Amino acid sequence: MALSDLLQFTIAGLKSGAIYALLALGFTIVFAATGAINFAQGEFFMLGGMIGVWLTRLGLPLPVAVLGAVALTAAIGAIFEVLAIRPIADGDPLRIIMVTIGGSVLLRQIALHVFGPDEVPLAAFSPGASIMVAGAAIERQTVWIWAITALAVGALFVLYRKTMFGRAMRATALRRDAARLVGVDTGMMVTVSFALAAGLGALAGLAVAPLTQTAFDVGAGIGVKGFAAAILGGLGNPVAAVGGGLVLGLLESMTAGYINPLYKDAVALVVLLGVLFVRPQGLFGGSGREKV
Amino acid sequence: MSLCRVRSRLVVVAFAAVLVVALTGCTGAKSTSGGSGGAETYKVGAILSLTGSYAALGSSEKNALELEVKRINDAGGVNGKQIELIIEDDGTDEAKAVAAASKLINQDNVIVILGATGTGQSMAARSEIDRAGIPEISMAGGTAITSNFDPLVFQTPWANTLVVPYVLQKVAADGHKNIAVISDSGGYGKDGKAVIVAAAPKSGLQIVSDQTFNPGDTDFSAQLTKVKSSGADAIVLWTAGKEGASIVRGVSDLGVKMPMYGGSGQARSEFAQGAGPAAEGFIFGTGKSLVPTNWGADSEEFKIVDGFSERYEAAYGQTPDIFAGHAFDALTILEDALKRSGGDTNAKALTSAVEGTRGLVGFGGAFTFSPTDHNGLTAEDLALYQVTAGTWTPVK
Amino acid sequence: MRSKALRIAGPLIAAVIVAVLPFVVADRFLLKVFTYAGLNVLVVAGLALLFGYAGQVSLGHAAFVGLGAYTCAILTTTLHVAWPLAFLAAGCVAALGGLLLALPSLRLKGHYLAMATLGFGELMTLAFVETVPLTHGVDGFTGIPLPTIGAITLRAPAELYWLVWGIAGVALFLAGNMVSLRPGRTMRAMHGSELGAAACGVDLVGVKVRAFVVSAALAGLSGALYASVIGFISPSVFTLAASVSFLAMAVIGGSGSLAGPVAAAIVLTLVQYLDALVPGISRETAQVVQAYEADVYGLAIVLIVLFAPGGIGSLFRRRSREGERA
Repeated sequence: MALSDLLQFTIAGLKSGAIYALLALGFTIVFAATGAINFAQGEFFMLGGMIGVWLTRLGLPLPVAVLGAVALTAAIGAIFEVLAIRPIADGDPLRIIMVTIGGSVLLRQIALHVFGPDEVPLAAFSPGASIMVAGAAIERQTVWIWAITALAVGALFVLYRKTMFGRAMRATALRRDAARLVGVDTGMMVTVSFALAAGLGALAGLAVAPLTQTAFDVGAGIGVKGFAAAILGGLGNPVAAVGGGLVLGLLESMTAGYINPLYKDAVALVVLLGVLFVRPQGLFGGSGREKV
Repeated sequence: MSLCRVRSRLVVVAFAAVLVVALTGCTGAKSTSGGSGGAETYKVGAILSLTGSYAALGSSEKNALELEVKRINDAGGVNGKQIELIIEDDGTDEAKAVAAASKLINQDNVIVILGATGTGQSMAARSEIDRAGIPEISMAGGTAITSNFDPLVFQTPWANTLVVPYVLQKVAADGHKNIAVISDSGGYGKDGKAVIVAAAPKSGLQIVSDQTFNPGDTDFSAQLTKVKSSGADAIVLWTAGKEGASIVRGVSDLGVKMPMYGGSGQARSEFAQGAGPAAEGFIFGTGKSLVPTNWGADSEEFKIVDGFSERYEAAYGQTPDIFAGHAFDALTILEDALKRSGGDTNAKALTSAVEGTRGLVGFGGAFTFSPTDHNGLTAEDLALYQVTAGTWTPVK
Repeated sequence: MRSKALRIAGPLIAAVIVAVLPFVVADRFLLKVFTYAGLNVLVVAGLALLFGYAGQVSLGHAAFVGLGAYTCAILTTTLHVAWPLAFLAAGCVAALGGLLLALPSLRLKGHYLAMATLGFGELMTLAFVETVPLTHGVDGFTGIPLPTIGAITLRAPAELYWLVWGIAGVALFLAGNMVSLRPGRTMRAMHGSELGAAACGVDLVGVKVRAFVVSAALAGLSGALYASVIGFISPSVFTLAASVSFLAMAVIGGSGSLAGPVAAAIVLTLVQYLDALVPGISRETAQVVQAYEADVYGLAIVLIVLFAPGGIGSLFRRRSREGERA
């Protein structure tokens, strides 16, 4: 009985961990490209779910709605970057933070006005009973979450390491002026980074919406957790981001299971403060900042 | 230096602007004592949860209040005067409820406050109610609202002290011994759990797992996993918010095979539909009026409830839920009290008039208040229901 | 010099207007609204020092307000401590909180510090919710007594108004002094360039910590006043949304000035109660304004950062002051 409980908690931890990993990746990508933290990352998570629900209500089949929501959110991310970040991209990171704070408030409010204040459900990607493994249940949607996360991480890996485009992005992240010198359109790279981050956030939001329902105000809470995951792993390193996400998810789940479920939300915050104060480079980050 | 000059100028301009606005704002001093009301209308304040966890409850209540106020006003009002309904949203939040009460009392000078939707919010608004001395008719079901006695506060739903033992009796009658309790940490859930803990032994039940969640939580796997391995034979769920549907789905997803019971918080279509097939067989206890034919087609209760139901459906295209019913009751009680007090809106007179309600038939049943009972209903007004195919049917 | 006379005249005129207001405004509710404005001014004054002068972003300032509010509530209700003592204790507890946050954050730069303050703020909100025996959790803390000074209980709206604005006035005066003397110059130096400031012998650590502690203390005092004036507090008052709106007031008001953020705080507070302020405005219009209030905050922050990084005030200044760019 105790073992099946542990297994159940582990599954729950890896489920939220995968979501945090996707968000952490989003933070990492933007950080690498601009040196700043995108406070609006949580709102992209929210927009993915909300737009997905809206598209299904328009009558689109679920797969189309999901892909459409990801694409639309990515577009919103790109537009946001062009309008609000690009003019100040080379300047003080503090200004970028402030702009993303303002932007996150705006996005949240727009979602409220367009979609209303109520919670909305999204259909599970594939209906059916949970899969039972050694006394613990794995919901089908959880399997989807894992699959989507693995796919996203794999795709990013291929993008960054194996394509010309990816090389250009890495160059921009490492030394923007040098990249510009060799002909990379750094402005475009930053825009693409935001679009990618927004797309990842949207994916996360869509993948988990069938389990938790979504509403206009879910962004802030998840954003903080995603950032905690990113910094736990070590900001700037995508592998570290994924690792940080999974570790955070497990920490939360074990705390909820063995200590007190009401303290679950505190875990991410304690981790966040702990890492910032004690080891800002995170678990896997090296002494210097490694960029994507 | 120009900087200082401009800065000082700014300050002066800012304060001058404020002064100008203040001057325009104070033309005609408003009355400062709460409870005097408008001369030509009865100003009735309502604190409803139009957003937040109880948004669905609050919007039903808003519909009911607006519908009935319009009906009363179109028929000539009460004592010849129109009712002016002023609604404030408390966002299912205690602090906002207090602010809403303050605004209604100080700015709008209402003679009574209907609300709040939720237990926590109703309790929080008390401080303003007591300061102003006007009555409050709450539409929330927490026991504390009337057991934590305040002479100014009344309540229209079937309180937890009524519903909990009624449901637990059914749990025991179905042959269960060990129960797992899942409740939320907000006002209604916490209140209900306390009553469950007290009443369980009397029904011969033992609580083997006591799980709580915070309103707004979305992941209950930790709590449900512990319920699963607790050795309980049944789950008693006590919450009124939107989390109920997710919890029931979670129970099914995690493969927990236990029958589930609940209270008025589940008497909502959002619950039955949101939980989907996972809610099949869920049993909850609430008022007879949820299915008006429970009363018998000739009874006065049936006529009143059915009449309200028809009007509501004609106006909004859906049958009213119990929360609309609670709001309907609050207004009915107020109307009756105003008639009996002869239109005296002095706070003490109005409160006495409300307290003098005897056998007034409403959605909840027959209300009889007294100086010690501000809830007014009994277990005779309750019934059991079972969720089937996204809706509910009465259970014998 | 003409400007010097104006420098004294400006705040003096403002002080007179503030003091005289209750005689002009008879509406009780309106007076309460102006009192709320004063509470916000007190918080934003501190935040102006921290953000506007020292350039440190705080996304968790509502937590300090909450610390002060709960300290005052617990001391006056459960322990029956005299109000003035509870009031000062609230400021001290909040200041301590600021110290505890600032010390480990010393090494953190801009965005990391912002995140740390965010984490701190959220953690404090959770603490307010979970420490039920102390704070009564989500039910909220009710029955907080009105401020009493000696034998006098301040009950009337006008009395509470004067208490709040009196304290705000003192705080502004002290902050103004801080700004024009050495502490202010060192803050601005640090904001302009940490390296340069350090090279000039500025104790960066000391400045950061002082700025945090002072701004936290002011926020705590405001919290204590809030608790005593309203009589009810709950964790949902001191959340991230509140911190963001305080920060918005500081950003919109502009860095490098106290008057700007103060004016922004007043205007943004009054806007929430538009239908009380201007009787011609219908309830529906007021509700529409309230519904879009947060949008305005967000949009204003974005626009200000993009186009007028020195805040609204900088739009009026001549372009040649490049030292004012945030």
